[in-house]
Amino acid sequence: MADEIDFTTGDAGASSTYPMQCSALRKNGFVVLKGRPCKIVEMSTSKTGKHGHAKVHLVGIDIFTGKKYEDICPSTHNMDVPNIKRNDYQLICIQDGYLSLLTESGDVREDLKLPEGELGKEIEGKYNAGEDVQVSVMCAMSEEYAVAIKPCK
Amino acid sequence: MESVGEGFPAVAVAAVLKPSADLPAGSLQVRGYDFDRGLDHRALLQSYLTTGFQATSFGQAVQEINRMIAAKLEPLGEEEETHADLNPCHRQPLGCTIFLGFTSNLISSGIRETIRYLVQHNMVDVLVTTAGGVEEDLIKCLAPTYVGEFSLRGKELRQSGINRIGNLLVPNDNYCKFEDWLMPILDQMVAEQDTEGMKWSPSKMIARLGKEINNPESVYYWAQKNNIPVLSPALTDGSLGDMIFFHSYKKPGLVLDIVEDLRLINTQAIFAKKTGMIILGGGLVKHHIANANLMRNGADYAVYVNTAQEFDGSDSGARPDEAVSWGKIRMDAKPVKVYADASLVFPLLVAETFVQKASAFTSDKQHD
Repeated sequence: MADEIDFTTGDAGASSTYPMQCSALRKNGFVVLKGRPCKIVEMSTSKTGKHGHAKVHLVGIDIFTGKKYEDICPSTHNMDVPNIKRNDYQLICIQDGYLSLLTESGDVREDLKLPEGELGKEIEGKYNAGEDVQVSVMCAMSEEYAVAIKPCK
Repeated sequence: MESVGEGFPAVAVAAVLKPSADLPAGSLQVRGYDFDRGLDHRALLQSYLTTGFQATSFGQAVQEINRMIAAKLEPLGEEEETHADLNPCHRQPLGCTIFLGFTSNLISSGIRETIRYLVQHNMVDVLVTTAGGVEEDLIKCLAPTYVGEFSLRGKELRQSGINRIGNLLVPNDNYCKFEDWLMPILDQMVAEQDTEGMKWSPSKMIARLGKEINNPESVYYWAQKNNIPVLSPALTDGSLGDMIFFHSYKKPGLVLDIVEDLRLINTQAIFAKKTGMIILGGGLVKHHIANANLMRNGADYAVYVNTAQEFDGSDSGARPDEAVSWGKIRMDAKPVKVYADASLVFPLLVAETFVQKASAFTSDKQHD
């Protein structure tokens, strides 16, 4: 018995990550560390020596939680790079702690939470002040969060 | 003073022609090897005892090691046999426990083959070395070390990816091969620690590596086969440590218990009937063995072979007599220090001692 296949959503079908050789990574790029999508803030290479193959030492910040992660990888090995999509949506309203956003196609999505902390307060503040704002939403590895706020053009 | 014309000045004569006291009975006369008798290498080495300076020290070291071996081969009394059950290592008890310590550069050199011979034939009981002393032996099973020159320039060597140890050369590639070989073993070790409750210590790790290399050219292959413990409390201070460090990013949590190993080495000394120390080099390998022997009020026999001097107060340069003051060597012992590079001297020492008694040594029988 075939499982129900959902044909309603269209997606380019790109996987959430793609492999990239460690030595090709760059500072300010992105990489998956300990299963989390991270922005690379420090990267140093130790050349082949008595510790064996050349290695890359990476320090990254989780793009969603801000937590720091470290890893060391031989420079010839591949590491996963997250596919990151960033979309801006117009903020319609805030209901029960969820953002009501207008997508490009004219649909409304209400599945994104009002983020906690300063950003959330900023969004709320601007909304309550009646300003027209756009919320930047970052999407990576099947997680989506509002990460920034912009004034509408 | 009388004038020169009337005979020699009395003061000068008295000084130069001072009558000598008799030398102690049994003093050896100095005599070197006479090549006119033809080339007899054994006789040549035996002639060192009366040749003077470090040659004489060499001859004395041969005698001291032969005393160690004689004590080792003496059968134990019945009572002594049962006491040996207290030894956690479960090696077959013998009349003398011999501690062999060596610095890692000696394993990089061809002395590795001499040490392998001793370990293969169960002629020594405890090994102490530093991290390099372990990894260089394993790496040689994967790829060779080469003879180079002391004068090769560091900058050019680095650019060519070649590491220099004195006048020996180890290509980086050898360490890459070592890394590829070691990583799966480290994975296994962490798995056994986490799932089977295995408690690792440096000696257990070295035994495991000796088992995994499974190559009769390796010192540590024979060490684990003959149940000869290898102590290396600073096991992380080398390529092994680098590998463990990088591995810990992928699979953290490996623990090496140096306290357990401390108990192991000290009890080897405590439960021994007699002990002998053969220490090549200085630093950790020298002190760790001496200190273990402190636990039994001193080793009965000791031979040091190193090039260090005592004037800076270092332990490496300290003569055996300094160890006597600490209780690390017995007061009635006749220890010998040979001021020489072990690469020159150790094979000759072994040739005049262990090799001569080779037939008396058998493989260690596992103690039940």
